[in-house]
Amino acid sequence: MIEARGIPTLVIGTVRDIMSKVTPPRAAFVDHPVGRTFGPPHDTARKRAVLTRALAELPMFATPGEIRDLGCEWLAGGSRAWEDELRAEMLHDR
Amino acid sequence: MAFEYLPIMAQNSAPKPPRVLATPSKPAWCPVTKPVSQSRVALLSSAALRLANQPPFIPREDLSYRRVPSDPKAGALVIDHHSGIGTVPKQDPEIIFPRTALATLVDQGTVASLSPRHFSFMGGVKQQKEIETELAPAIAKDLIEASVDLALLVPY
Repeated sequence: MIEARGIPTLVIGTVRDIMSKVTPPRAAFVDHPVGRTFGPPHDTARKRAVLTRALAELPMFATPGEIRDLGCEWLAGGSRAWEDELRAEMLHDR
Repeated sequence: MAFEYLPIMAQNSAPKPPRVLATPSKPAWCPVTKPVSQSRVALLSSAALRLANQPPFIPREDLSYRRVPSDPKAGALVIDHHSGIGTVPKQDPEIIFPRTALATLVDQGTVASLSPRHFSFMGGVKQQKEIETELAPAIAKDLIEASVDLALLVPY
């Protein structure tokens, strides 16, 4: 709707499987836990870094529905240790 | 491999069937013609986010939206969305709504200017038709009036 009115959009999101289903015009994938798109609370540098990466990616989108990975890591070294904790948190909240 | 959320959502909704994910009835694509360094940028959030002195959102089928001043000094942010993921972002709403980071990028010249207003609404609303015919056009009109060149949407 917004694109139809002449304004480009960029979705910046953590939930890749949903973004691939709902196909926004442009989506930047941030490999962080949901609800922490721009980093842990009160981490000013991380917020700025993720936002800067997303904006730098904007010219790279060539086709509608493309999802581009910003290459962000939640934990140093790419550890996926956060996934079990997030899964438990999400199941606990049902 | 990216974390998979859909199986957890299906597990949480059982025995009801998983939620149907809506896609736009009329997909659109607007080419990016301006570099970010020449663009006025607005943030959009589905976190039902507002300033403390703005009217609260009412979960879950609230189709209203709030114009949130883009100046980080305008006041603290409140998240009204009912999602269980809120524990962490409510400690620092700017991890899902980076208004200060965006303002800093304007100061640095990475972004040309801020929209005077950012926008937030309730994510997860099931009234897809009303979203397409009422909510989204109203926000689009506001974005046009603010001469916004690029809208950054952060799903919640």
